[in-house]
Amino acid sequence: MEDMTTTAAPATTTPVVGFDQVTKTYGSVRAVDGLSLRLYPGETVALLGPNGAGKSTTLDLLLGLKNADSGTVNVFGTGPREAIVAGRVGAMLQSGGLMEDVTVAELVKLACSLHPKPYKAAEVMARAGITQIADRKVNKLSGGQAQRVRFALATAGDSDLIILDEPTTGMDVSARQAFWATMREQADQGRTVLFATHYLEEADAIADRVLVLHRGRLLADGTAAEIKAKAGARRVAFDLEGDIDEPALRGLPFLTSIDVSGQTVRIQSADADATVRALYGLGVYPRNLEVAGLGLEQAFVAITEAEEAKQSC
Amino acid sequence: MLNTFATQALIKLELARALRNKKFLFFSVLYPAIIYLIFSSSSGSNEKVSDTGLTVATYLMVSMASFGALTAVLMGNSERIAKERESGWVRQLRLTPLPGRGYVLAKTASAAVVSLPSIIVVFIAAAAIKHVRLDAWQWLALVGVIWAGSLVFAALGVAIGYVASGDAVRPITMIVYFGLSILGGLWMPSTTFPQVLQDIAKWLPTHAYAALGQAIEQSQAPHATDIAILAVYFVLFSGGAAWLYRKDTLKA
Repeated sequence: MEDMTTTAAPATTTPVVGFDQVTKTYGSVRAVDGLSLRLYPGETVALLGPNGAGKSTTLDLLLGLKNADSGTVNVFGTGPREAIVAGRVGAMLQSGGLMEDVTVAELVKLACSLHPKPYKAAEVMARAGITQIADRKVNKLSGGQAQRVRFALATAGDSDLIILDEPTTGMDVSARQAFWATMREQADQGRTVLFATHYLEEADAIADRVLVLHRGRLLADGTAAEIKAKAGARRVAFDLEGDIDEPALRGLPFLTSIDVSGQTVRIQSADADATVRALYGLGVYPRNLEVAGLGLEQAFVAITEAEEAKQSC
Repeated sequence: MLNTFATQALIKLELARALRNKKFLFFSVLYPAIIYLIFSSSSGSNEKVSDTGLTVATYLMVSMASFGALTAVLMGNSERIAKERESGWVRQLRLTPLPGRGYVLAKTASAAVVSLPSIIVVFIAAAAIKHVRLDAWQWLALVGVIWAGSLVFAALGVAIGYVASGDAVRPITMIVYFGLSILGGLWMPSTTFPQVLQDIAKWLPTHAYAALGQAIEQSQAPHATDIAILAVYFVLFSGGAAWLYRKDTLKA
């Protein structure tokens, strides 16, 4: 009995997705540059990066829409196309269009008939929140409604992996919240979800794990908290009187960046407690001391800037 | 099995769409019959087309039925494929288990279903209004030959849909469509053309296509040359379509 309930540790679980040293070049541009990553069953993972970071190319490679120049892409231990044919992957792409001159219901029904393990069309539409617009022509939809239809197409059957490329583009705040609630249901059913986004607060709020992509390479891989820590987790600001000994301040422990303007000093620190203690140790008396957390957005900017500084050296 | 089922589902929806598109239906189903009546009304009922022994009404019936089938398969495929490549629908379909050729097959099949009534409507107009009389086997053989022959142009439509995009697809389709129709002698017998054009016309797929039907009207078996010409074009067009499709797949 015990043997049956034993579950393997995440490290030895067969990955849902495995990239090994994958490279994809367009002309002289390396869209994806030696990328290696693993996704494990049941994870909700955000793929985060600025435009041109290689997010879309990564998803295209993962879905077999493009072939890698070198390296291997595995999905459920097979090639991407085999995984799609087996009905294990449902995907919604930004660049994915919809068939025109048909109703929403007709299109969802088609998606259900194309899936090897389909759900009922009515069920799929209810879950995507498009039952009320079932009879509407696809070409008469608003941007947010079209996104919901795309989501319905991606979840027309019992897939194990759901890929979403910037799924909330064109949605207002309330639609976005409703959308993520829907998506969470998918994750709660044990599916692996990978979504690309530039809404960083979404990655922070929704993902178990965040992959930061920059210039086709994996810059950071961890929980949102870990990524914030990596970038300098806290922002410390204070005022000093008299002459400011900037070199001494630069020597503070755990400091990741510093900005002095007038009498105000703003620093970012990986360990704010240690930094502040050392600050008092310098024999200065900071006034108006403030310590605040960094949002993921700032963390992300910091990582990207650090990377760029490294590259230009 | 599954993929056949998937392709069928797409064909069904493609068909529903085609039948809903009034403009497309008019152009592919009624337009050839209307052109037929206009063209054939300008000649007397006993007037013969030189070298064939056929009346103008009979000769034009095959030309216009072929023209109608050509309209349905060529216009339907090229423009829709180009548009759906651009909108990303082709990409979306590639995220489903539907095999790539299933899409092309569904497009061609639905075009072929629309082309059938366009052939029959021309035949009905010819029989009922222009009193064209043929043996039963001839009617059936004509439908079969014109319908099957239209597949050559369906392949051409797919190729154009993959090679052209955006604003270019309509003019290119139009040039190919009218060029092939007129030069191939679908609108008027190519025997009325200057010698140079006649020499060109001989080698066009549309000329061979219409010639198949005209042979049947003259109670002959279709000529081997015409079948060979069409077969070569079919290999050329479908090979080109397959090649362009693969190229597009890697690029998309």
